[in-house]
Amino acid sequence: MSKTTITANGQTKNLSLEPRRLLADVLREDFRLSGVHIGCAHGACGACTVHVDGVPRLSCLTFAVQCDGAEINTVESLGGDDAHHLLQRAFREEHGLQCGYCTPGFLMTMAPYVEEMAAQDRMPEDAEIRHAMSGNICRCTGYQSIVAAVRLAITQRRNGESTQ
Amino acid sequence: MRPAPFSYHKAERLDQALALLAEFGEDARPIAGGQSLVPMMNLRLARPSHLVDINALDLDTIELRSDHLHIGALVRHERYARESLIAQHFPAFAEGVEWIGHPTIRRRGTLGGSISHADPTAELPALCVLLGAEIIAQSAEGSRRIPAAEFFISAYVTSLEAGEMVTGIDLPLPKGKSSGAFEEFAERSGDFAIISAGVTLEHDGRAITDARVVWSGVDLAPVMAERAGDLLRGKPLSAPEAEAAAQAMSAGITPLDDPMASAEFRHSLIVELTQRALTRACEKAMQAS
Ligand SMILES: Cc1cc2nc3c(=O)[nH]c(=O)nc-3n(C[C@H](O)[C@H](O)[C@H](O)COP(=O)(O)OP(=O)(O)OC[C@H]3O[C@@H](n4cnc5c(N)ncnc54)[C@H](O)[C@@H]3O)c2cc1C
Repeated sequence: MSKTTITANGQTKNLSLEPRRLLADVLREDFRLSGVHIGCAHGACGACTVHVDGVPRLSCLTFAVQCDGAEINTVESLGGDDAHHLLQRAFREEHGLQCGYCTPGFLMTMAPYVEEMAAQDRMPEDAEIRHAMSGNICRCTGYQSIVAAVRLAITQRRNGESTQ
Repeated sequence: MRPAPFSYHKAERLDQALALLAEFGEDARPIAGGQSLVPMMNLRLARPSHLVDINALDLDTIELRSDHLHIGALVRHERYARESLIAQHFPAFAEGVEWIGHPTIRRRGTLGGSISHADPTAELPALCVLLGAEIIAQSAEGSRRIPAAEFFISAYVTSLEAGEMVTGIDLPLPKGKSSGAFEEFAERSGDFAIISAGVTLEHDGRAITDARVVWSGVDLAPVMAERAGDLLRGKPLSAPEAEAAAQAMSAGITPLDDPMASAEFRHSLIVELTQRALTRACEKAMQAS
């Protein structure tokens, strides 16, 4: 067992962990953050994407013991239980989800991308958006509506709307 | 699936990592980005008893050293796009690494991990062979340099020995005027290649003076086209007869045949991608001259 201190969505826990436990499982089981979805558990689907110290990371390819001292953010930290973050609202408006299983991964991958584009004051081509989310798989939407949601969120951020 | 139990060791310095690898030998694996090792462990295709985390080591430099460019083992895939030294000296490398995986994976995966994992269609192994890289392997006993052509033995098999790890690679700088390009075909953006083709040219501003071509997806390790230099030397940059050269250099090649792609389809891809890469490398050479 390894002593590991992890902060998730602002809550810090001192944990005693088996090294083989995946960050995804520790977030779901020890922190009760069920917004972390596990699709394939080998890096191919992107559903488990979270932020480690602000950067998107696949939590199924990360051992929790590697995150000693790290700050993790999950989809719950974006817009709370009512999912009111600007990108979540854009997904709702543009029908960017159906079953919703992949959605937390898309949101955590694309939220920093929306901020990056807003900071550059630039609307990317659809192909660039598709490339940015190429590590996330969705079996419901056919992606077009997710691209539309990302475009809407970038437009709103460039118009100065707040994410909250 | 979840991994089998193991002990976790976080190395703070290179000597510490090497001591741990020496102590545990075959039972230990370094973990860098984890983007290939952890999938293998989750699927129980790999069951190391000890993981030595090397992420804290100071192995992420990219710098010119006399006649070569040194790239550290912990340089992450996403970084090359921001490195002008790469674009300036190694255009085929700059293009090839753009094909690696998806953004979240590129942000984490490393050079040392990719070449040590040695996936048969990974871009970095092919680029190392194309550019005549030397791979620097270090153990508690000392260090040795392995030419890329001898490093990649088969799918997921390299000439690294237990207790050794890669600390970086050296890419020899091109001596005269040079150019290069890289082409790939995969099922989806970011997937592993079915076939890729990399080309480097030396030239005098008008004609090709030497050429190298590498393919992945042909065999279980990157393959150099034996006759590339002979077929292309002397050809004008403006009319390299790329299709004929691509046909001729792949004439005797029998590519892999598997459910992903037939040997025949792979062969057509080799010709087409080689021709495209050659044509673009010549165009770039002419623009620069
Ligand atoms: C969905 C998906 C798609 C991908 N697509 C591509 C692709 O298109 N092209 C591509 O090239 N790759 C692709 N990858 C793999 C990715 O590039 C990996 O990052 C890379 O292959 C391994 O690097 P790593 O740092 O993550 O290594 P790790 O996973 O940490 O390690 C891989 C292996 O190398 C060993 N190792 C690590 N570092 C060293 C070292 N310094 N010395 C000795 N041994 C070492 C480990 O023990 C392990 O055996 C993909 C991965 C995923 C999950």
